[in-house]
Amino acid sequence: MFQKLLIANRGEIAVRIIRACREMGIKTVAVYSQADADALHTQLADESICIGKAEAKDSYLNMERILSATIASGADAIHPGFGFLSENSKFAALCEKCNIAFIGPSARTIEETGNKSEARNAMVRAGVPVIPGTKEPIFTAEAGRKFADEIGYPVMIKAALGGGGKGMRVVRNSEEFEKNFQNAQREAENGFGDNSMYIEKYIEHPKHIEFQILADNEGNTIHLGERDCSVQRRHQKMIEESPCTALDEDLREQMGAMAVRAAKAVGYRNAGTVEFLLDSHRQFYFMEINTRIQVEHGVTELVTGIDLVKEQIRIAAGEKLGLRQSDIHLTGHAMEVRINAENPDKNFAPCPGTIQELHIPGGNGVRIDTAVYPGYIIPPYYDSMIMKVMVYDKDRESALKKMRSTLGEVIIEGVTTNLDFQYEILKNKEFESGAVHTDFIEKNFEETA
Amino acid sequence: MHLKGLFKKENQPVRHQNQAEAPNVPDGLYTKCESCHEMILTEDFTQNAYVCPKCGHYMKIGAYERIKMVFDAQTFEEWDEEFTGGNPCHFKGYEEKLGDLQRDTGLNEAVITGKGKIDGMEAAVGVCDTRFLMGSMGYAVGEKLTRAIERATVEKLPLIIFTCSGGARMQEGIVSLMQMEKTAAALKKFDAAGGLYITVLTNPTTGGVTASFAMLGDIILAEPQALVGFAGPRVIRQTIGEELPEGFQRAEFLLEHGLIDNIVERRFLKQTLSTLLRLHKKPQAETMSRYQQYLDDIYAKKIDIKKEEALLAAKNEKKQLSAWEKVQIARSSKRPSALDYIGYLTKDFYELHGDRAYRDDGAVVGGIAFFGKQPVTVIGQQKGATTKENIVRNFGMPYPEGYRKALRLMKQAEKFHRPVLCLVDTPGAYCGIGAEERGQGEAIAKNLFEMADLKVPVLSIVIGEGGSGGALALAAGNEVWMLENSVYSILSPEGFASILWKDASKAEKAAQVMKLTAQDLKELGIIEQILPEFPVVSSDNMNRVTLYMKRKIAGFLVKYQQMGGEELAEQRYQRFRGM
Repeated sequence: MFQKLLIANRGEIAVRIIRACREMGIKTVAVYSQADADALHTQLADESICIGKAEAKDSYLNMERILSATIASGADAIHPGFGFLSENSKFAALCEKCNIAFIGPSARTIEETGNKSEARNAMVRAGVPVIPGTKEPIFTAEAGRKFADEIGYPVMIKAALGGGGKGMRVVRNSEEFEKNFQNAQREAENGFGDNSMYIEKYIEHPKHIEFQILADNEGNTIHLGERDCSVQRRHQKMIEESPCTALDEDLREQMGAMAVRAAKAVGYRNAGTVEFLLDSHRQFYFMEINTRIQVEHGVTELVTGIDLVKEQIRIAAGEKLGLRQSDIHLTGHAMEVRINAENPDKNFAPCPGTIQELHIPGGNGVRIDTAVYPGYIIPPYYDSMIMKVMVYDKDRESALKKMRSTLGEVIIEGVTTNLDFQYEILKNKEFESGAVHTDFIEKNFEETA
Repeated sequence: MHLKGLFKKENQPVRHQNQAEAPNVPDGLYTKCESCHEMILTEDFTQNAYVCPKCGHYMKIGAYERIKMVFDAQTFEEWDEEFTGGNPCHFKGYEEKLGDLQRDTGLNEAVITGKGKIDGMEAAVGVCDTRFLMGSMGYAVGEKLTRAIERATVEKLPLIIFTCSGGARMQEGIVSLMQMEKTAAALKKFDAAGGLYITVLTNPTTGGVTASFAMLGDIILAEPQALVGFAGPRVIRQTIGEELPEGFQRAEFLLEHGLIDNIVERRFLKQTLSTLLRLHKKPQAETMSRYQQYLDDIYAKKIDIKKEEALLAAKNEKKQLSAWEKVQIARSSKRPSALDYIGYLTKDFYELHGDRAYRDDGAVVGGIAFFGKQPVTVIGQQKGATTKENIVRNFGMPYPEGYRKALRLMKQAEKFHRPVLCLVDTPGAYCGIGAEERGQGEAIAKNLFEMADLKVPVLSIVIGEGGSGGALALAAGNEVWMLENSVYSILSPEGFASILWKDASKAEKAAQVMKLTAQDLKELGIIEQILPEFPVVSSDNMNRVTLYMKRKIAGFLVKYQQMGGEELAEQRYQRFRGM
């Protein structure tokens, strides 16, 4: 096992990792920027090393400084947390070269899964379902329609260089195809000076379902069930829960098996997440693999009773996975709400500042992961997430009630947060029913936003 | 609340039982940039062609590294690898010094010669290496290079030399000085045999090397920031006791002063050399007629020729634009410029800069490009579309150095048997003090004089304004064509009116009587062809207009490439003899 571990991150995830290390008897080294001298992770670790100026590129993203700090402190492993260098294959490769254990998959796996088309090809080869789409650009309506007829409607026509909805059309039947294709292509030509188009199956009202996986260095791979992360605002997750009400045992088993297959297809090691889109006909499609610990990992910990960060460290230290698939059972229901220092009334602009008053709730089935304390100054340089409120109860209904009650107790004075906005979501009937899709926020709250 | 010191810390040093397994940075993983002193991942440095990814500084690189970077893998064959010089002036300690350097650098001398392939095209090469006595030229360097030049002459290979040198090698005294003439003389023979010589000046290139083989390239390229000069900046500063301007003697300074053809970033070097070699490969004799056939086929497919003929005939029936209207159209800032036409008519245009004497004139652009598969030299007078561009382009009014650049490129075309295409678009040669000081009249006259005798086909096309002698200096061709709405005249209508009627405001009236439209000039027999516009050429319909032009140009080349050099010169002589 490692003697000393360096945490190349900040905020609540750095604190989360320090705690796991303390429990495991591993000494911890925090690195911090000049803006984070008073941060909890800086104070909590056994050792703290300042690695540069406030801007992330000069500190938490500066590979040279982090490696120097690791070697100078004698740490033998680096936990990258999420964000920053966590999915940087170059950094993982450098750690390998410097004899430092990088807690995550190999540099090669990070690179392969980070490249969209490479990852997609690997999945197709392994027989993991992906969203059907054209591999080569299409230039004529005729060729496009032929393809669309094959994969079935609805389909999405997308400009190769498109963005912001320009050059994009959803087509629901063969008759409408030609007109839509031509319009989209014209838009693309005028907007981007390029008329290459792609066509893919359009997934209507999908749910974002992701599977947590664990794989040891011998390739033993298991999944720890799913998380439903469909409540998203512009691809930023807001509320996550496990299990997902749309999955029965059968579908969970199917999707879980595919998640394991996806991980094996890229020789996955350590903890990771396989993301799927699930449509209303129980069809699911591979999206991507996240090669890091996720923000929402706590939800899985609550329903499985497994400490994912400790598992990560054990695997990186070469230990064999002590769990088999048959050991994994999801019991009860867990839910997480992300609290960000941001202003929903101003297009969710970040609101850094000083936390004047703070009340952190507690009680049975309540878990709060945070790195803020009264008097803490939220620096403007980093992500605005300041707290993860998690609850656990016997079923979804109870968990939801607990979450409402718990959020009501959270008091953060001094900075604007999305707390009220989250509370509104919890009160929403559609959310209450559990049948929300990735367009939920856009559909119900865009006016508010 | 302050957390400082509230938590218990257990900081203990870690003991690794096996030092080899302890985390460490392996030697060579990082390289320190000599300019910004940042630690750079060696891999990043290498991948970035030894240019610092943080500050853009160009590191010096060894000869073999350079060869690896530019030549196809496993194609380099070294010549005279073992060759070393002696100690001709019996300089004390010189032999020991050479011995030490040979041991430390693994090089026998300061230059590596041989041949290799770039994208499959063979070339002879010489690469200086600064690690060996600053790449200075003594007997061995001069001899190895001369042998390489001679061998390239015999084997008919293009020659590329990468220079970096402090100059002559002091320890070898006057013998070193003689290497300058030896290499220059060998290059003269190589030139006479028609060989292509490209030099790439790298940091630093000074002294006797600059004053010999470095500056004798048919094409001279340089790396960014490279210091290039005869006398080093320190010597100059001490001699004249003056501070030197910022960027003095750097590659960018040389480009501005017309001394080099272009600056090439290291990562594009191979690609650039490859393009230049390709542009100097001999096309097969019948490629142009095949290209003409191909163009005809496309034309027939895209354009209804009958309809077009009817359209052109109808156009002649209709009321013509007045001469003054045509003057306005020709002058419009919306009218496509020379570079626009070059983009449409040719492929892989590589621009060459400078008159090799004073300055690079922005009003004249020139370079080599493919017309079909035939390399051609293209030269044009370039106007800007905006004020900012026009400051660079001087509103398309060339200085003498512009004409000298054009002439240099035409002579180069003659050496490599490339046809010349001139695109005329100027209000006139620039009228100003500097232009007169440097001999505007002489420069134009020299072009007329030399163009008369060029042994390659020359086609001049007036695309906008053909202003007087400044236009003629690019229009002494075997044929001269005009776009339908271009004008060509003895001087501007304003100037004409002011000379004849002492009133520049009578320009419109002047335009009517001056015979300056394409139609007038065709009738007068001054030009051979009018190229129709559909209806007025603009960025929207350039495709159409240039497709027509391409067919005509292909026809011109098929006809004139059959003629010998003397015959071409004679045809040109007779063309003007009759006017």
